[in-house]
Amino acid sequence: MKTIISAKDLSKKYGAFTAVDTISFEIQEGECFGFLGPNGAGKTTTVKMIHCVSPVSSGTLSVNGMAAHIDNRVLKKMTGVIPQEITLDIDLTVRENLMVFSRFFDIPRREAKSRIAELLKFVELEAKRDSKIDQLSTGMKRRLLIARALLNNPTIIIADEPTTGLDPQARHLIWQRLRQLKAQGVTLILTTQYMEEAQQLCDRVVVMYQGKILKAGVPSKLIEDEIGKEVMEIRSSKDGDSKLIEDLAGFACGHERVGDTLYFYCRDGHDLRKKVIELDLPNTVYRPATLEDVFLKLTGRSLIE
Amino acid sequence: MNLSYRIYHVFFRNLISYKRFVLTTFLVSLIQPLFYLITFGIGMGAYMGYFGGKPYLYFLVPGVLISSVMMSATFECLYGTFVKMIHEHLYDSLIATPVSAEDAVAGDIAWGAFRGLVSGTLMMIVAIVMGILPVSVLSVLLLLAVMVFVGILFGSLAMIVTAFAPNFDFFNYYTELVITPMLFFSGVFFPLDNFPAWMKTFAQFMPLTHAVAISRAVFSGVYTSGLALNFLVILVLEVIAFYAGVKLMKRRLIK
Repeated sequence: MKTIISAKDLSKKYGAFTAVDTISFEIQEGECFGFLGPNGAGKTTTVKMIHCVSPVSSGTLSVNGMAAHIDNRVLKKMTGVIPQEITLDIDLTVRENLMVFSRFFDIPRREAKSRIAELLKFVELEAKRDSKIDQLSTGMKRRLLIARALLNNPTIIIADEPTTGLDPQARHLIWQRLRQLKAQGVTLILTTQYMEEAQQLCDRVVVMYQGKILKAGVPSKLIEDEIGKEVMEIRSSKDGDSKLIEDLAGFACGHERVGDTLYFYCRDGHDLRKKVIELDLPNTVYRPATLEDVFLKLTGRSLIE
Repeated sequence: MNLSYRIYHVFFRNLISYKRFVLTTFLVSLIQPLFYLITFGIGMGAYMGYFGGKPYLYFLVPGVLISSVMMSATFECLYGTFVKMIHEHLYDSLIATPVSAEDAVAGDIAWGAFRGLVSGTLMMIVAIVMGILPVSVLSVLLLLAVMVFVGILFGSLAMIVTAFAPNFDFFNYYTELVITPMLFFSGVFFPLDNFPAWMKTFAQFMPLTHAVAISRAVFSGVYTSGLALNFLVILVLEVIAFYAGVKLMKRRLIK
């Protein structure tokens, strides 16, 4: 595998505020790489530097062997961007949106026409081709953004929180399309705060927090290293903690109290479960560990504002 | 300045979206100048007698015509651009393509100039219908060129304001404190000859004064030696305003 994007000590400062703080990472050709993190972690800023719309403050960032730079039209030409905000042209119809955008990439008219027909089919919007943007649902708008990002046959696709605000059907359709693109050999870069999304799509992820990378790795491996395999959640008042911990900690590899819940993390939960049943505790949830647990463990369970 | 032929792509985008509201904009860009022509031209003109051997309307039309270019180009690059930038996030998606920030802004200035050209042309048609004719066919063609030339200047000036605007209200400062006074101090409605000396000097600092002078000369075919200076003033201002407008907008767009 070939490295397609490589960042070394990459930083982004807005005045005195450091949005991205000396991070380094490498993205391989054809993989799906996820930037995870809460709001304001620096994910979007990082991908904006990758797709050349935000200048690098310090460090190096190279994409496909070229330095990422706001005037690098070659890189912009090979990148497709699915933005976080819906930036469709509301004065135009669905088809006109794509047609005008194809011009920005200098795609010849005839080629653009067949490409647009193809893409409208891909995102299942053929029936809406002549609709105005405000007649579309949020899910349709997001799909149109995907079609728009694919017009130039990009080799790198950047999806910045592509499913925010979507219902499950729309979200699954978008995941399917993104996986399909990846299967075609496209390098996919995803930012998200939905851990399920990262688990569904990403080969490797980094967890960002306050401009820094806290952890990097393969999702399943990260979960196993940080949490284990299973989680037992016990809703109980804090007073009983010492007794519960005394009874159960021996069967788990870690525990944590957050609000009304005591969490036990474990690699093999059989004995823990038996013990919990034996103790006949009310309000327990036993479930597999997820990336969300890793995320919350790393970035803290309290609200981030 | 990272400018390229892609300016045209941005212009083209505006053209495609224009077709939906072209008729309403015709109405809007006609109403105010028509107002001036009727109230000042016909109403007041009746008391004005002849100006340089011709009815007052011949004096008024080239002034109103070029002011309508100023108005349209200004409003397009204030409100039009602001909506596209802040409300529609259009610039955000533009600069993620091979279109540079400079291309995008220059494309919108070109669009503002085009809107000016449309308004000015409509006014000219109205004037011709009213029987107030430019002196020759050549003069009509030259007037069209002057409209574009002047439109780029006012579009660029407006772009500078837009680059700093936090919201719509901010535009009122510019339109009420700069554009409207300019309309009355630039010799659109009456000659500057009877102004006190300081006001005459003041008027020379207003770009519209020079635009009106050029428009009037071309309309009537009476060219004076001062015309070269008028032309030069507009040209120099235009180059500076264009450069500043594009650079300042880029600073706002690229963070």
